[in-house]
Amino acid sequence: MRPSGPADDRATASAAATATTAASESPFRSFRAWPVRVQSPRVRYTDRHVEAQYEYRTARVTPDLQRQVLEAREHTLSYTFRTELRVPRLGLLQVGWGGNNGSTVTAAVVANRERLSWAARGGPQAANYYGSLTQAATVHVGSDAAGRDVYVPLSSLLPMVHPNDLVLGGWDVSSLNLADALERAQVLEPDLRRQLRPLLQDMRPWPGAFDRSFIASNQWPRADNVLAGGKGEQLRALRGHIQQFKREHALERAVVVWTGNSERYSSLPPEAHQRAPALLAAIDADHAEVSPSTLYAVAAVLEHCPFVNGSPQNTLLPSVVELARQHHVPVLGDDFKSGQTRLKSVLVDYLLECGFKVRAMVTYNHLGNNDMYQLTDRVMWQPKSSSKSRVIDDLVASNGLLYGPHEQPDHAVVVQYVPYLGDSKRDVSEYTSEAFMGAHYTSVMHNECLDSMLCAPLIIDTAILCELFTRVSFRRTDAPGDYEPLHPVLSVLGFFMKSPQVPPGEPVVNALRRQRACLENMLRALVGLPPESHLRLESKCRVEAPPSSDGESGAAGAARPVAAE
Amino acid sequence: MFTESVTLDAPNVRVTDDAIEADYLYETTRVTLDEVSGAAVARPHCERYTFRTERQLPRLGLMLVGWGGNNGSTVTGAVIANREGITWRTKEGIRRPNYVGSLTQSATVRLGSLCAPDSDTHEEDVYVPLSSLLPMVHPNDLEIGGWDISSADLAEAMARAQVLDYDLQRQLRPHMARLRPLPSVFYPDFVAANQSARADNLLPGDDKQAHLERLRADIAEFRRARGVDKVIVLWTANTERFAEVLEGVNDTAENLLAAIRGSHPEVSPSTLFAVASILEGCSFINGSPQNTFVPGVVELAVQHDVFLGGDDFKSGQTKFKSVLVDFLIGAGIKPLSIASYNHLGNNDGKNLSAPSQFRSKEISKSSVVDDMVASNGILYQPGERPDHLVVIKYMPAVGDSKRALDEYESEIFMGGRNTIVVHQTCEDSLLAAPLILDLAILTELAQRISLRRDGDAQYERFHPVLSLLSYLLKAPMVPHGTPVVNALSRQRACIENILRACVGLPPENDMRLEHKRNPRGHQKSL
Repeated sequence: MRPSGPADDRATASAAATATTAASESPFRSFRAWPVRVQSPRVRYTDRHVEAQYEYRTARVTPDLQRQVLEAREHTLSYTFRTELRVPRLGLLQVGWGGNNGSTVTAAVVANRERLSWAARGGPQAANYYGSLTQAATVHVGSDAAGRDVYVPLSSLLPMVHPNDLVLGGWDVSSLNLADALERAQVLEPDLRRQLRPLLQDMRPWPGAFDRSFIASNQWPRADNVLAGGKGEQLRALRGHIQQFKREHALERAVVVWTGNSERYSSLPPEAHQRAPALLAAIDADHAEVSPSTLYAVAAVLEHCPFVNGSPQNTLLPSVVELARQHHVPVLGDDFKSGQTRLKSVLVDYLLECGFKVRAMVTYNHLGNNDMYQLTDRVMWQPKSSSKSRVIDDLVASNGLLYGPHEQPDHAVVVQYVPYLGDSKRDVSEYTSEAFMGAHYTSVMHNECLDSMLCAPLIIDTAILCELFTRVSFRRTDAPGDYEPLHPVLSVLGFFMKSPQVPPGEPVVNALRRQRACLENMLRALVGLPPESHLRLESKCRVEAPPSSDGESGAAGAARPVAAE
Repeated sequence: MFTESVTLDAPNVRVTDDAIEADYLYETTRVTLDEVSGAAVARPHCERYTFRTERQLPRLGLMLVGWGGNNGSTVTGAVIANREGITWRTKEGIRRPNYVGSLTQSATVRLGSLCAPDSDTHEEDVYVPLSSLLPMVHPNDLEIGGWDISSADLAEAMARAQVLDYDLQRQLRPHMARLRPLPSVFYPDFVAANQSARADNLLPGDDKQAHLERLRADIAEFRRARGVDKVIVLWTANTERFAEVLEGVNDTAENLLAAIRGSHPEVSPSTLFAVASILEGCSFINGSPQNTFVPGVVELAVQHDVFLGGDDFKSGQTKFKSVLVDFLIGAGIKPLSIASYNHLGNNDGKNLSAPSQFRSKEISKSSVVDDMVASNGILYQPGERPDHLVVIKYMPAVGDSKRALDEYESEIFMGGRNTIVVHQTCEDSLLAAPLILDLAILTELAQRISLRRDGDAQYERFHPVLSLLSYLLKAPMVPHGTPVVNALSRQRACIENILRACVGLPPENDMRLEHKRNPRGHQKSL
């Protein structure tokens, strides 16, 4: 039983398989570089903005107390989105710049910018941004006149900063320059490191805020580049760095991303935990429970730089969020969702949506980079463990047919330090579900990748998208008032986060599919395109839809051509 | 929160004794390419539709071809156990019957968010069973019958299958022993030689026209004897080899009917069942990979306005693949190779150990990532696709317990590699059986749905090639010239949003915009 290669004669086979699916031309069209222009009477491009009127349609469920039932009905709100079109000169400041993530991001941006290629075992390898949602993923825009699907890069819906144009900088508690940090990380190929050395060796991290009580003692020997003085002084130093960086590089905007060590949780007094003024006072008073990551978040917010917390600790305290609200600065957290947890938020969603009852999830990780080394400390492990364990809560709660009110699957997460493996992360997971009539459905998975190669594209994506959303504002169309920015807690980017932070009251969504749909539909909304419904009624009805007339739309108002760029 | 049911009371929805009518705004985007400016010009487009769903549930009959196979006997046993409330002992304790793994019976959908009656505050998400959106036949109410080339009664068939627990089999035996499959059609050329040993319950002779008439009479008799209003016929029998599509033989409805009259050798048993089903006005579903739906069958279904669903149940490895590859490509990661090994020891595996039957399966399994690959022109050049290998081995000792081993090798950032290895174990028939129920239930529902575009005079039904069922099928058949969607998340969204449309609810957009507004009253302090 030796099959011939399926690829060889697939065309003939599928033509024979179903004449109904056979088409001489592919029904899919995917384009690399077509910017999307929307033509609609409800969308207006000006020199500075795109303004889109948008009908936000949801289902509202309300209790009818008399009849003791829940009622569902469609509810529509009209919003107008306004997005600035001009892309600013953007800086990306990484905390932990010399770590594996920081050095990989830096090397990748420089290598892409300089169009480097290097010798790898399999031949020359060119630099790319694979694994990045903004740079390597596409979205279905709609259908062309022939009914074919049209896909474009996600980044072509709206002007976004290109990663090659990012200006890089950052802090590290280790003084190594970026060329040496790249050697230490052992992530990229030697031939690429060789070419990058002259380009990276003058990049030196600023001294970092360091508090030995927040990270494991095994990190202390690395800390030879730390800020002196109390926390108030450190905050001022960090703000000074940001100001200086923006000035020196003539940047309009910068994003600060924490990709430093996982810290332990901080436990500030309730007032400083909750309220911005008390937090600022605690910093001035050099309070022992102000974590370095919170210090960076506060510095970023005060300098009007969006802040991303890529680690699991509670950096984004309610008091930090309040400060962000006051300053209209987006914050995003927590903990990059790059590997095992990301796959889990796909797999468990899949299993439950099929109607399988997940009963046990056992996930083992082992790796040997510095991130893992520091997680060997039990106190540091606690935030990580918590961040990893909440990922299925929303999924389980969504299915009352399979689970009782407080029933949860068994869930174990183990992380081990295996120095030999370096940055190569191994994830072994077992999912045991209950299937039809008491059957067991067991999936075992082994997932292997360089940790930093999974994470680096997420750092780039979050920087680019945080910047984009600072250019977005919106208002109710029917009740004109000022345009307002989005809520500073950027839940629209939950796709990238293990433990997504949301504005108060918003349900936390972990299912990756929903997180991606949210982002995609938001981007569509910004240019006035309806959400993706996947209905494809035209191909389900017997009668073909007539060809559309130009500019046709369900909305009132005459069709109007839009000025070309 | 989770709730069992929700009522509809909205201005765009009219509920009468007969039907639910919902006015619906169908929003899409039309794209043209402006070669001069180099832009993709997108135009939002919307049309108004009215969806009409009949509320009256029919008495539904399900006739399985291959009734005595592992899938057929498992479905039958499970429905009886659920209907009779039979519990059974296992070493872990008492088990209750259920429909876990069924989309219609054990999956939920997010309806919307709960709001206080007179406020704009969105409190929490409300989830409901998928089946609560519209009236659907309950699997307990199905009348099941069918054909098999083996004369074993359903109790023997269940024992032979070795799928259900012994204590359950013991209690089911009296219910199942009196169920006997009708004699079936067997053309040895289409299945593996190793199946002949089992074939002791066959329609006599080799006159295909006589066979066709007998199958039609079987359906009519089943309908009459069991007092059912509708019958759905579903092929869950052996995988056949591909039939050759020949001009003048099976390329048109007329030629196909003539070819049956002339007993042409390229008319397969499954095609004969499909034709019998169509001529009796019964929807037909093909749960195996072969090309049952030759062009003549599709034309006949269009003429008779009967639904066809196919091909090949998407139950295990392929279903997972259509999630994982969608995830990877959707995240900008480039799958380079997919190596899929399977071994199993049931009769399906035995039949697939013959090369031409395996070939049918291989074709069905191999096209599953095509749409996802084609959707990403950043990662893949035109014509480029990942290496993809599918191997199936017959391993008698593991019986119905199917093992799927997959390796996905992908390229990530800066030449990095990501290797994912997956090993899955489950009873093959316990994955497929809920899909059989879902296919029957959703096909029946689709028969009660009609829709009318604003301005059109008449309601129309869905196209006879029922692409709505794609979620449940490995190689989804779609109407001519329309894109095939394999990505599981999109297929599910389609089902969910169609059901929502029927009750006048907008599609799920996952945006949660109501929470993303910045509360007023805070000004800059610096």
